[in-house]
Amino acid sequence: MATRDKLIQVTDLKKHYKMGTIKALDGVTTDIYRGDVMVVIGPSGSGKSTFLRSLNLLEEPTGGAIVFDGVDITKKKYKDANGKTVKLDIDALRQKMGMVFQHFNLFPHMTILENMVLAPMKVKGISRADAEQKALQLLDRVGLKDRADAYPIQLSGGQKQRVAIVRALAMEPEVMLFDEPTSALDPEMVGEVLDVMKELAKEGMTMVCVTHEMGFAREVGNRVLFMADGKLLEEGTPEEIFEHPKHPRLQDFLSKVL
Amino acid sequence: MDSFIQLSNFPKIAPYAQLFRQGLLVTVLLSAFTVAIGFVIALLLALMRLSNVRPFRFLGLDKDGHQKESGILAAISRFNPLSFLATAYVEILRSTPVLVQIFIIYYGVFSLIKLPSFQMFGFIKFDRFFPGVVALGMNSGAYLCEIIRSGIQSIDGGQTEAARSLGLSQVQNLRYIIFPQALKNILPAIANEFVVIIKESAITYTIGVQDIMFAVNAVKGATFIIIEPLLVATAIYFCLCFPTSKLIAYFERRMSRGDKR
Repeated sequence: MATRDKLIQVTDLKKHYKMGTIKALDGVTTDIYRGDVMVVIGPSGSGKSTFLRSLNLLEEPTGGAIVFDGVDITKKKYKDANGKTVKLDIDALRQKMGMVFQHFNLFPHMTILENMVLAPMKVKGISRADAEQKALQLLDRVGLKDRADAYPIQLSGGQKQRVAIVRALAMEPEVMLFDEPTSALDPEMVGEVLDVMKELAKEGMTMVCVTHEMGFAREVGNRVLFMADGKLLEEGTPEEIFEHPKHPRLQDFLSKVL
Repeated sequence: MDSFIQLSNFPKIAPYAQLFRQGLLVTVLLSAFTVAIGFVIALLLALMRLSNVRPFRFLGLDKDGHQKESGILAAISRFNPLSFLATAYVEILRSTPVLVQIFIIYYGVFSLIKLPSFQMFGFIKFDRFFPGVVALGMNSGAYLCEIIRSGIQSIDGGQTEAARSLGLSQVQNLRYIIFPQALKNILPAIANEFVVIIKESAITYTIGVQDIMFAVNAVKGATFIIIEPLLVATAIYFCLCFPTSKLIAYFERRMSRGDKR
């Protein structure tokens, strides 16, 4: 483990609402290494989505630290290498973290291709020709090249989610965050999305994935986190978590979902 | 047979047809300018209301730079002066009569600011027309602001989250993702506001803008005939507003067909 590259370091992460009476995140500490496929499981309301969304600051934590690329991104300002205080550039940071949502969130007023090239062109300043070429390559990988000119409304749920994944990949992120990517899908479409994710994992993409797909967690994940009540209760390899669960809450949870 | 309408009166007011034609032109111009000014004001107000300008933000941060959860300082740190001003503007304009607003603008504001007195198209008195447009524009700006704001807020929050997670800035998100979708949703409401303004503009005759109602009054003064000129005005307003709202309904149907939702 020591030789591996620490990508994100989460320390005592807290997210409290309503004067601290609601603790969505209650002191989560973990490290994410380059190449990790980290799967976060737990009952609903356990804070796993909040944890994931905190990583790219869609949720603002109320305490703790997230160090990404050597910078604590929960602070609005930080000192750079020369000791100068600079403002955190949240947009630059988010480019490096791709995110896939439960409800796809494709842009309905744009074609699939336009969905894919918007951010590379407007954020990275890539030319339309280059962006489109890249986009078509990515679409080809997920078998949707022929739907490039379709609108999201014309696609099935599984197709939409595959587009959402490659749309995030088009920004060449260092880590991909998945927020229950298969929960809104019809059962027969879950497989096609999980296949794309497995492919990604095989290529060595760093992934953090909140999911209820225990099969995926077991097969693809190299680390599994179990959360409940905003706390990280157990962490280990899929084998440790699924075959030898220690925490009673985890044992109870697994008996219900497996 | 006694009737409150006397057909014989129509030939008597016929010589004043030119007044009605001029009135029609004024009403259309007045409404068009009002919508244009109103839309610009409304867009600014809506952006102010939805902005996240918090000059006292630092008061709400603890020593580590995290947002505090509660307390007076946290409340002050959330204060947004732009949003406060815009909200105050909208609520005041919507809670007072247009007539009062027009009088305040005309007799108050434009008694201090001297307008050049020239005539557009050879008959429209600019120093009356302009205050009328400003007053109506400010008023409809308040209503349009609420339309635009609700249009922006009607867009699913997931759209913004997806855009921001791709690295788009707040401004890019508004420009490429939110506005195009919101505009489509609110176009019918904006067009409706246009119809409302056509009708509401009649009130500007009280400050001497030569619109259709002004023509009615001029004819009344010259001929002592009142009902028939009013009927002519009614017909003109109806011919302006009815087709416009039908046209809007047509486009509304066409746009929703494209949705296939």
